[in-house]
This record gives sequence, structure tokens and C-alpha cells, in this order.
Amino acid sequence: MLEARDLGKSFGALEVTRGISLRLPPGARHAIVGPNGSGKTTLFNLLAGELAPDRGRVLLDGHDVTRLGPDARARRGLGRSFQKSDLFPDLSVRENLAVALAIGERRGAVFWRPFAGLPGHAEATAALARRVGLEALLDQPARTLAYGTQRQLELGMALAGAPRVLLLDEPTAGMSAEETHAMTALVAGLSRSIALLIVEHDMEVVFEIAERITVLDRGAVLVEGTPAEVRGSELVRRRYLGERRR
Amino acid sequence: MSSERARHAAAALLLLAALAAWRFAGYAGADLLGEIAVWAIFAMSLDLITGYAGLVSLGHALYFGLGAYALATLTHLLKLPPSAALPAAIAVAAVAALALGALAVRLRGVFFIMITLAFGQMGWAYLVRSPVFGGIGGMSGIGRLDLGALGLDLANPRDFALFAIVVAAFLYVLLALVTASPFGKMLVALHQNEHRARALGLAVERYTLAAFTLAGAVAGLAGVLEAMRTGFVSPELLTWTRSGEVLIMVILGGLGTLAGPALGAAIWVMLRHYLSSLTPYWMLAMGLVFVAVVLFAGKGVLGLAMPRRALPRDA
Repeated sequence: MLEARDLGKSFGALEVTRGISLRLPPGARHAIVGPNGSGKTTLFNLLAGELAPDRGRVLLDGHDVTRLGPDARARRGLGRSFQKSDLFPDLSVRENLAVALAIGERRGAVFWRPFAGLPGHAEATAALARRVGLEALLDQPARTLAYGTQRQLELGMALAGAPRVLLLDEPTAGMSAEETHAMTALVAGLSRSIALLIVEHDMEVVFEIAERITVLDRGAVLVEGTPAEVRGSELVRRRYLGERRR
Repeated sequence: MSSERARHAAAALLLLAALAAWRFAGYAGADLLGEIAVWAIFAMSLDLITGYAGLVSLGHALYFGLGAYALATLTHLLKLPPSAALPAAIAVAAVAALALGALAVRLRGVFFIMITLAFGQMGWAYLVRSPVFGGIGGMSGIGRLDLGALGLDLANPRDFALFAIVVAAFLYVLLALVTASPFGKMLVALHQNEHRARALGLAVERYTLAAFTLAGAVAGLAGVLEAMRTGFVSPELLTWTRSGEVLIMVILGGLGTLAGPALGAAIWVMLRHYLSSLTPYWMLAMGLVFVAVVLFAGKGVLGLAMPRRALPRDA
């Protein structure tokens, strides 16, 4: 589905991504972990097309998308959420989801009928809101939502385009324990038609969702394997897990 | 009342006021009404890109002037009938907006302002020097649409004012439909958060270019009407201060509301008319009005007259 081959990216003299390769088969549950500054978000931005790599390639469904921008990749089935909630702040929850759906369905260019009157759109918006647990907040402006709720909306918008590959950037960052629990359940329950790549700090969440884990360290892959392998890795224990327990 | 309804109500009130004023207006008053209607169309066209899509243009008079000059060229130099020249002139403005917009919409913020200003100045500089189009003196003897079938003579200010008011109302409806459509919603969304719109798969530049082209076409129509109103064109139609003035009208009336910019046009043109006959310092007085509105009514004059919730925030 999604493949990165030997991606490299530098900002000036700082080499942030150093030859990362990654393969996401259909339906994958793959997590990327690593300390701050290990290049997780840069890798995400390279995969999503917000940054162009200095070297290496990104393939989506076997097609080289290295030169395509984020919108073109999204139209090919790549969805993503952002670490900091990145919403349409003055639009309501309903409008945020409806706009995301209209873009996903490629109906944004329709200019001859009212937005509210798109056939099937209201139902699809309501269904999406239910899916991420926002059905009671449809008329609230996004900017007034609580932090955890903004994260739910963030996920809802990422799901709106019916992505086949979904990149989630720290979906539980800054959430309370309850919110984290609910979000984890939501992500764990996503359809297997979606290949999932998730960056997450909370190792409990990672072990609950991921079937494969890549540990990044200083811009390169330290270890890749199953959760059990990563947990058992002496290298990882020293470099990352250990640090957090102390 | 929903924000959309409140704005339609404001537009309907404005139309009624215009028609009432027209009913009692004399020759000079009708001339002023016609001028207001033309500026209102021009201001609504700018609102589409500045108020809705969030792109501040300081060169919108270029498309206004191109529409006017295209009509003049086609009717005066090429002797085409005005009924054929009118759509052709709008097409000229639209094609120019499409071609120049293709370059401009890649830029944002102050760079977009600068490139639109540069394009406008290039058009002005060319027409000032060009002997074909009359240089600084422009051209006169422009054909007007023959509306004899409707009992209207556009050379008569009263008839012209009525016609222009009806056209402005029609364009309000057209632009209100466009902005309420999915396309219009995409403009609002990319204005609010371009980054997110792009990540969702929106080809942002195609939408801003489409809006820019439509705005150019409508500005071109306003220019066509202005040429018919005054019967002549000059490079003065393309000056950057005209672009600035229409931007002031949009902000004064209320960004992203359509009815607001039309109201802003009415206020601005009337202020200019009456203040300039009262005092030689009228521009200073108008500047103060503008400063007061920007400071105390961020949503424009329409925002003062409406319930707080009825207007889009930060539009």
C-alpha cells in the first residue's frame, strides 16, 4: 500500500531523516515510536507530501508519488491527522465534517446547488459524526470544542475521504486518561480496509494498537519488529523504553 | 436568524432603498445611483476573492478597466453591436483574470497583493501610452446596449440607473448561489485553513483560480457598465487607487457578506459625492470614516446593523 524507500531529508547541516525504509501492507497496524527529535513527524511529512525528500522514494499502491503534493496524495487514498488539531476553526463540527466529506467525494467543484443540498451528504455527515462520537456536538464551532473533542474531530476529518492508508500523528497527545482510552478504542476499531501508520508517545496505546513497531533514533530505524520483539530488544530498552521508566 | 438569511434580508432592504431612491431621484440623483450600482457590482466581485477566499487584491481595477476598454474597442474601433460586444468584453476580462490569476494564486499574503498590484500597474502603464487605445485621453463614442424593447434608453441616467440596479441585484443572487454552493464552501474552508484543505485533498489553486476568474469576469461586467454609463473610457479606470477604493468599500461594508460590500459601495460613493461638494478636505474626512469603521466595527457597517451571531467570524 504505502512504501518508503531509503528516504533522506536534511535541514541545513542537520540530517533529520537518514535512509528510512518502511512498508505498509494493506490493513497494516504499524506504529512509529522514538524519542523527541528522532524524526517521527518529519517522516510523516515526507510520507504525506508536505515535505519533499532529498533522496529516496515514496510509493502509494506501487505508484511513485514522491513528487506529488499532499492534496494529490490525499486524492489517491492517503489520509492523515495532525499532531496539533488542524481544523476549520470558525466552522461548526457539522461543517468541518461535511467539507472534509465533500473534498473526499470530489464534490467541491459543484457550484450549481447549495452545499446543504448535496444528495446524501447530510446522512453521510451524520454517520461520520456518530463514528467518531461527535453526534451531540454537530452545531458547535470547532474552536469552542474541548481539546479531546477536537482530536475526535481531527480523526473524523481524516476518515472522511475513505482513506486506504491513514497516518495518525499522536492521536492521544495531551488527552486525559479517559479520552486516551476512548480514542484508543476508536482507532483499534477502525476497519481493516485501512492500513494504519501511527506515531504515538504513549506506549500502552502503541502496544494495544500496533502489530508492527518501528523505533526511530536520530533519524534512522533503530529496530523494526513485532511488539514482542521490540519490547524484548535490549537496544530499545536502553535507548528509549528505559529512559521513560526512570 | 441564520447568517445567510440575515444577509439576504440586508440585500433585499438595500435593493428596496435603491428602488425607492430611484423613484424620487432627479437627473443627478439617478446618475449617482447608477454609479453606486456599478461600484456595488465591482465590490461584490472583489468580495468573492477577498472576503470568501481570503486573497487580498490590490489590482482588481485591471479587470474592471479591461471590460470597459474591451467594450470601447469592440464598439468604437471595430463597430461591433453592443449586444455582441458586451459578452465579448466580459470574456476578455475573464481570460485576463484566468491567465494572470494562474500566476498570482500561487502566492499568498503580501506577495499576492504585490503581484496583483503589479499586473494592474502594467495594464495602466500600457494604456496610458498606447496610441491605439487613445493614450491618456482614452476613447469616447462607446456603444450602449439598445434596450428600446424594454422602453429603456441607457443614455438617459434614470433608465441607466434602473438597469444597473437590476443587474446588481441579479449578480447578488448569482454570487450568493455560488458562495452557498460546495464550491463557495471550499473557498471559505481554504481561507480558514489552507493547510488542512490541502491535506484533505483539495487542489487549492484550482479553486482560488476559478474564484479569481469569476471575480475578474464580474469586475469586467462592472467596467462594461461604467463605460456605458459615462460613454467614455480612460486609463483612470485602471488606476491602483481605484483598486484600493473598491477594497475599502468591501472592508467598510463587511468582508464575505456580498450585501456588505454593496452597502459599502453606496456609503462610499455618497460620502465622496456629498463631502467633496462641502469641503476640499473631503478625502481626509473619508479616511476618518474608514478608520472609525475598521477600529470600531471590524465586521464592517453591515456588522453594526446585524446581530453578532449573524455574521461569519473572521471572514
